[in-house]
Amino acid sequence: MSTQTLTENALQAPAASRWRSLITQETVATAVVSLIVAAAVVLPLLVLVISSFRVLDPGGFDTTWGLDNYRTLYTDRVIPKAFVNTLIVCAGSTVIATFFGVALAWINARTNCPGRQRMEPFNLVPFFLSPFVGAIAWHNLAGGKVGLINSWGRDFLGMQGNLINVDNLYGVIWVTGLFFAPLVYLFVVGSLRRMDPSLEDSARTTGAGLVRTAMTVTLPLVAPGILSGAIIVFVTTAGEFGVPFKLSAPYGWQTLTTQIFSKAVGDDANIYLGSAMSMALGVITVLLIWIQQSYIAPRSFTTVTGKGFRPNVIDLGRWKWAAFAFNSGFILVAVVLPILCLIVVSLHPVWQSRIILHDLTLHNYVRTLFFWAPDHIAAATNGIYNSFILAFAGATIAMALSLVVSYMIHRTKGFGARLLDFLCVVPVGFPGIVIAMGVLVTYIRTPIYATLWILLLGYITRFFPYGQRNVSSVMLAISEELDQSSRMAGASWFTTLRRITIPLLKPGIFAGWVLLFIIFLRELSISIILYSSGTETLSVGVYYLTNYENDTLTAALSVTQTAILLACVYIFRRIAGREALTV
Amino acid sequence: MATGTTAGYVEVQGLVKWFGADRAVDDVSFSVPKGNFVTLLGPSGCGKTTTLMSIAGLHSIDAGQIRVGGTVYTAPKNGIFIPPEKRDIGMVFQSYAIWPHMTVAQNVAYPLEIRGVPQPEIDSRVADVLRLVGLAEMAQKLATQLSGGQQQRAALARAIVSRPRLLLFDEPLSNLDLKLREQMRVELKRIQNEVGITSIYVTHDQAEALVMSDEIIVMSKGRIQQRGTPHEIYARPVNAYVSNFIGVANLLKGRVVAVGEGGRGRIEVAQGGEPVQFPCRIADGVRVDDEAVLSVRPENVQARRENGDGRCLEGEVLQAIFLGNCVDCRVRWGDFEWKILTHPRVRLNRGDKVYLHLDPDHTLAVQP
Repeated sequence: MSTQTLTENALQAPAASRWRSLITQETVATAVVSLIVAAAVVLPLLVLVISSFRVLDPGGFDTTWGLDNYRTLYTDRVIPKAFVNTLIVCAGSTVIATFFGVALAWINARTNCPGRQRMEPFNLVPFFLSPFVGAIAWHNLAGGKVGLINSWGRDFLGMQGNLINVDNLYGVIWVTGLFFAPLVYLFVVGSLRRMDPSLEDSARTTGAGLVRTAMTVTLPLVAPGILSGAIIVFVTTAGEFGVPFKLSAPYGWQTLTTQIFSKAVGDDANIYLGSAMSMALGVITVLLIWIQQSYIAPRSFTTVTGKGFRPNVIDLGRWKWAAFAFNSGFILVAVVLPILCLIVVSLHPVWQSRIILHDLTLHNYVRTLFFWAPDHIAAATNGIYNSFILAFAGATIAMALSLVVSYMIHRTKGFGARLLDFLCVVPVGFPGIVIAMGVLVTYIRTPIYATLWILLLGYITRFFPYGQRNVSSVMLAISEELDQSSRMAGASWFTTLRRITIPLLKPGIFAGWVLLFIIFLRELSISIILYSSGTETLSVGVYYLTNYENDTLTAALSVTQTAILLACVYIFRRIAGREALTV
Repeated sequence: MATGTTAGYVEVQGLVKWFGADRAVDDVSFSVPKGNFVTLLGPSGCGKTTTLMSIAGLHSIDAGQIRVGGTVYTAPKNGIFIPPEKRDIGMVFQSYAIWPHMTVAQNVAYPLEIRGVPQPEIDSRVADVLRLVGLAEMAQKLATQLSGGQQQRAALARAIVSRPRLLLFDEPLSNLDLKLREQMRVELKRIQNEVGITSIYVTHDQAEALVMSDEIIVMSKGRIQQRGTPHEIYARPVNAYVSNFIGVANLLKGRVVAVGEGGRGRIEVAQGGEPVQFPCRIADGVRVDDEAVLSVRPENVQARRENGDGRCLEGEVLQAIFLGNCVDCRVRWGDFEWKILTHPRVRLNRGDKVYLHLDPDHTLAVQP
């Protein structure tokens, strides 16, 4: 028998097999997922752009095409000021968060500050809590009239007026700065810890002193991390709704987010104008994130080395107690005082700015937690229930999506992979409130509007990139040959995914799931746009109470949310070790 | 075609693979007889791994055909692409790719489980193959507890346990240290002999290729330069590239002036100043008046004290390094520096005048 006939017999494959060979488990699964991701990410943004060019007529019924919404952005009485206020708040909180973040990272990674191992987890606590709750706490602590500190100042020091007042833009800057300091901290502490000590040692051997080494070697190496952290804080602050809503909006300082909110659901609702404002906010954040992703992130030199270095520790001498005081001071103002204050307030029937021991009661918890209590508040009890459903379902779906998406990006090369990689960065560029506006205008006329589904969609669209990043980082660390050898052993693509890829990615999947679970439990700025009666979430419940009920009920639900979040963080850290939950 | 030189067990015909604008593999064809051990040898980027991955089905190809044991595995022209898991090929990867979340036994049992082999048979076959590779005691260890050499053995066990039609090796020894590598070469070859599976081995290490292969295919820039037994490749390289890549060679540019009977001829070399003619063997495809390269292995150059027959090259010793069983010398001849290996009894010192004698049987004119 000759090769020729053998070959020809074998090549009698029908033309249909050419197409059949394209339809494999892998191509089908990845095509479906890419379509889902593309639809989830592109559709809301596209509809948002389109609606920003639709102008509501004065009657409020019909729309026409036009640029009037954008004209309103600078002719309106409030919006231009809100724009300026947003920039002021962003700049201020970026400065504060960067200062705290860098200083704390340095103290924890590089000095012999006493008790730093114990304090480290607490430095991260604000990251897991809701800034909105932080604002409520600080309002009760140092608000203009109601603040506990101010009433003590009047009672014990005989002062007139207020000692400090956080009910203004400075208060917003202060609270957001404190709560976002961990973002900078996380960006910087990693590179400080993992920096090869010989980089600094070799500078010292050339004759550079401690300060000079810090300025010429350490700082430049950490600078990309600091800058990345600062940009993330700026962008996150620009999209922060709860803090300005609580601290500045009621006293006349609007920001873009509070304005978008009132245009989306307020009395003078105009979702088309809201779309245009979202566009304005989105353009700023996208631009900054684009700069961070394409110019700054690639310059972080030291984050990739996997080697376990023992970084140089600087002996602070007597100054170590100053460092200790600084770090415990941060934990005091960012964690301990706010939580204590909320607990105190929540135990009073009515908050009169002073502690009245014989009035203490748990009734506020009964009304916000026990849905069977006759005088329970539905918005609060629904919120707890809905948030757990959303967090569980959202984290699970988002991680399943992340898994397939990461697989496609890192294991299948080509145009589709690069497009998907891009699509996964896009939602990070937009504040939750902007994505939520996009989802709102896209689905307002569909049956999913006013259900939990629209919230789920908003959550996943905005936050699945966080989970995807967790999976991707693990996937990059494990060799592709581990998958390939399973295929060679005779396992199909799906079997390989189930028996090899997923088990190997388990730490990344778990870490991502937990992070999303916690983010979803405290989410406010998407929920506030997309909720309706019956689909309140935990944070919306807090919003409802602060808006329509009183301070003490608000404090009770805030304490509840904080307790749930802290318990989750504690449990997950116990399960997964301290490496988990550090983004 | 009764001789079967082209109808091998593995047939690769006209393989072409593009990576962007680069032709990673450019019209590569070869065949491997059943039971043979063939090595694809070349520097990184020569297309050897891409060829291997194409056979494995881990890459698609742009043109050509891959056939194993009469089954067409890949033929883009006809829309045929058998997915890797259906090819029944065992593969040993460069990183070993031992799954860290499983024990050694679980790793090795995996291909059998996938094939639905009953559990008692899996147990006995896993035990057999672990004994064969010398890991019987490590069966219950986690992959992460193994040393590099042990992971290598586990990877081999996993690749052969299902008795595949073909075994592929992708630089499996390159992550081991030198001593272990030398030991594993012999070991790998012994196991392959024992199980008798047709094997294709990819490496950039010429020593590895020489020790292990029945046949070597030398590749460069996506093309096959030469194929032959290790001895043929070493003794009769077809061009300067192969002769330089396999072992060490003195290469002098020249021009063929005569081609006679039995592949003998003469080459004129101008490198030493005055043109000198050398009697030599002429490689296939080299004709009179062709530009050619004279290739001489260092061990085939004799260094003498006297110019016995008057045809020796007169040179000066630049360097003589005693290596125990031989002396590695550099000898200047005009502006050319000869690399020669001499017997330690010939005592050469720096600055000595020596006469180099080339044996015409081991002097080769090859394509540039």
